[in-house]
Amino acid sequence: MSVETFGAQVAPTFRRWIDSDKALAAICVIVPLIGLFLFFIYPMIIVFIRSITTPDGTYGLANYAQILSSKGFWRATQHSLVMGGTTTVLSVGLGFIIALGLHRCAFPGKTLIRVAIVLPLIAPSLVQALGLIFILGRNGLISQFTGVEMEIYGFWGLVIANTLYGLPQAVMIISAALVLLDARIYEAADVLGSSPLRQFRDLTLPAVIFAVLSASFVVFTITITDFGNAAVIGGDYSVLATEIYSQVIGQRNFNMGAVVGIMLLLPVILSYYIERQAMKRQKTQKATNVHSYVPRFRAIRDVPMGIVNFLIAGMILSVICIVIYASFVKLWPYNFDFTLKHYNITLAGGYSSLWMTVWISIGAAVAGTLAVFTLAIGLRHTPEIIAQPVRILAAMPAAVPGMVLGLAYILTFNSTATPLYLLYGSATLIAVINFYHYHTQAYLTVMTGFRQFPSELAEAGSALGAGIGRISTTIIAPFVAPMLVSVFFFLFMRSMVTLSAVVFLTTPQLTVAAVTIMRLDDAGLTSQAAAFSTAVMAVVGLALVGMKGALLLLAKRNSRKSGR
Amino acid sequence: MYLTVSNATKRFGTFVALDDVSVSLKKGEFVSLLGPSGCGKTTLLRIIAGLTDIDEGDVRIEDVAMSDMPARKRGFGIVFQSYSLFPNMSVAENIAYGLKVRKTPSDQIRARVKELLEIIKLPDIIDKYPGQLSGGQQQRVALARAIAVDPKVLLLDEPLSALDANVRASLRHEIRQLQRELKIPTLMVTHDQEEALEMSDRIICMNHGVVVQVGTPEELYHKPATRFVADFMGSSNLITTKLIRETLPHLMSKRPDGPDDAYDACIRPEEITLLEDENGVATVTSTSFLGNLNRIDLDGPFGELLVETHGPCNFKTGQKVSIDVKPEACTWVLNDEIEVVA
Repeated sequence: MSVETFGAQVAPTFRRWIDSDKALAAICVIVPLIGLFLFFIYPMIIVFIRSITTPDGTYGLANYAQILSSKGFWRATQHSLVMGGTTTVLSVGLGFIIALGLHRCAFPGKTLIRVAIVLPLIAPSLVQALGLIFILGRNGLISQFTGVEMEIYGFWGLVIANTLYGLPQAVMIISAALVLLDARIYEAADVLGSSPLRQFRDLTLPAVIFAVLSASFVVFTITITDFGNAAVIGGDYSVLATEIYSQVIGQRNFNMGAVVGIMLLLPVILSYYIERQAMKRQKTQKATNVHSYVPRFRAIRDVPMGIVNFLIAGMILSVICIVIYASFVKLWPYNFDFTLKHYNITLAGGYSSLWMTVWISIGAAVAGTLAVFTLAIGLRHTPEIIAQPVRILAAMPAAVPGMVLGLAYILTFNSTATPLYLLYGSATLIAVINFYHYHTQAYLTVMTGFRQFPSELAEAGSALGAGIGRISTTIIAPFVAPMLVSVFFFLFMRSMVTLSAVVFLTTPQLTVAAVTIMRLDDAGLTSQAAAFSTAVMAVVGLALVGMKGALLLLAKRNSRKSGR
Repeated sequence: MYLTVSNATKRFGTFVALDDVSVSLKKGEFVSLLGPSGCGKTTLLRIIAGLTDIDEGDVRIEDVAMSDMPARKRGFGIVFQSYSLFPNMSVAENIAYGLKVRKTPSDQIRARVKELLEIIKLPDIIDKYPGQLSGGQQQRVALARAIAVDPKVLLLDEPLSALDANVRASLRHEIRQLQRELKIPTLMVTHDQEEALEMSDRIICMNHGVVVQVGTPEELYHKPATRFVADFMGSSNLITTKLIRETLPHLMSKRPDGPDDAYDACIRPEEITLLEDENGVATVTSTSFLGNLNRIDLDGPFGELLVETHGPCNFKTGQKVSIDVKPEACTWVLNDEIEVVA
């Protein structure tokens, strides 16, 4: 066989391989991109168009003029800002204390505090409000046993509930900065004669200031956009989130709802942008080979810090545990005999919404994990000029509050103008909105895994003749498996408990767990609401245990392979 | 003695990091703590600095007990392998930090910072931040920061290990020069025997949490006390008593009394003279050219032997040779039966 004939035989096959690889890479980017356009960009455009559509069908700023001149809007805005600001100061302040306690102090029982910090993440956001009502409400523990009547509905109730809701986020962001601090730096300062207080001022504060800023913006954003606590404990204290709800559900005034939605979007986008910038500054300070700081016990610092930490953790725990406890007693707070009767849900549908939510959450988790993984694979093979805008687009949904996205969906999918109408009222659409609502976090988690992936491995694979498909499934997927597991469970757990994005999309025939809890509470069946919340927390808690187990298993398998 | 550590013991759980260790440092002296990783040298340094608590024993400076004094009251200077400059402070602020803590007037601080930057030969980086400097520059700044406060003792924890080979060589020389000029008593932890040989007045050689031998670099190299020291300090030929008696009996005269396996002979490779000899007992198994010297491996009745010669190499693989070792070139070392991978 001559060289020429040999070459002639091989060349076409080779070219076909290149082409099919390119096509696969293109599909990997294009399919998730179509999803982003259809289920994120397009609805957001619709919401904007509806906000400038006047009642007579023309376009103009009349709606904005009307909203801006209404007293109700300004009151809600002022309420949102004051409540958001107060919550942020409290939440970040307490979060900073807990983070310092966990990472810079020595006292026993830190596991309990870590558990307390995770709990609010597995509970629907209105659980804090329910718990507060059980403790401080008119029929709460305090008024029952001391006779002191407290008005918990309104500003303070909302501030306390949201402070507890935002605390875990603040602790996690500030902790992430604290663990990066190098123990050697503190030892150097120590030997130079610097006192612990001075080290805190000179070294710790400058290093975590951006994380504190970042935590402030995150907490501010999640509190002013949260709907669950505002609906349950806000009372007459109207905020922007409840204002959208009353415009849309109460007055069926979709265009006005759209205007309020756009107004809510503005501060959130601003704070999201500042937070991203702050995070960038934080990263540049990161050092390599960090020796982690191991605090030595110092009574003067650790005894008070330990007490304060346990007090805060106790607050979080008691508010959530009281909901679980109240679901098992006959008549709160008069008869504490054990009963399971509240678990017999009397509202139409019973537990069907819980099982429906489980299915929706599994759907969102499976499809979502697949979508972000495919997108990340595709981006590896996409020229930078296209990849750059795609990355920005993929990180955008986090800046849109759930209420606004939900409103955008109802405006988009409830319109018979396009075939997308077919999705309206389906469980699929709820799974879809849950995925796009949390798209950014899922995408960023997977990208973290991809950044750690040594590209030589993929190059070695392709030198051996494997195509993108084979490399992705046999080399990359096992490497980023821990991130994929995290993303799967993250999407599942968020979908189980989220309320704000789905509140507009449920119908009498199709509802989800968080909405059922709100309806039970609305109907005055507070104990049943507690029972239903407990059931949801049990499912999410199981998922959390499943995730930890899966990650542990993966870590074990990896360490066995590397012979350690 | 200026600094003395007596009977220091430190355990981490069941692991004994330091086992009844006593060392001392004279005024103006440069002493190295040398040993393989895990031998306890860093633990000892951290105990002296006050960064790790001591379980038993004590640390004294001119008879003042330090053991209960926190690190920040001791008035020492420390330099870590990882530079550990304060990332949020400029070079000037880093160097000034200890002086500021001591409430030195700011005009004095400014003058001192300038002077120190001259000493470390980096006068132009005063306003830079650690992230903008090379590893070598960062380590010089860390050194300036440590000596700015005129420390009672300067502690160096593997200060050169993270640097490139050529930076390391020049900084070695500079640190030693500086220490001689300022006469600061200095204790350096290192696992690099060349570094210890070049820089130290005395070397404390450690292994498995105990001090194996203390002495000048010359003593440790030429008169190693144990197999471990002989092996750790440069390369050596370690031959059992039995083989020496059978093949090089004239070296037996200086051997201390004791059972055969108590002592081994240590012969440095440059102390062996090779002679071309067709009837020689040894065979050249390989030769390598290392620039300033030649490395020749032999096989013979005394086992495998390493020889180093200067000048042109006249020996070829397979050639028969005879060897000559002067009795004074052979040191008998205690067989501490510790296998060390150099």
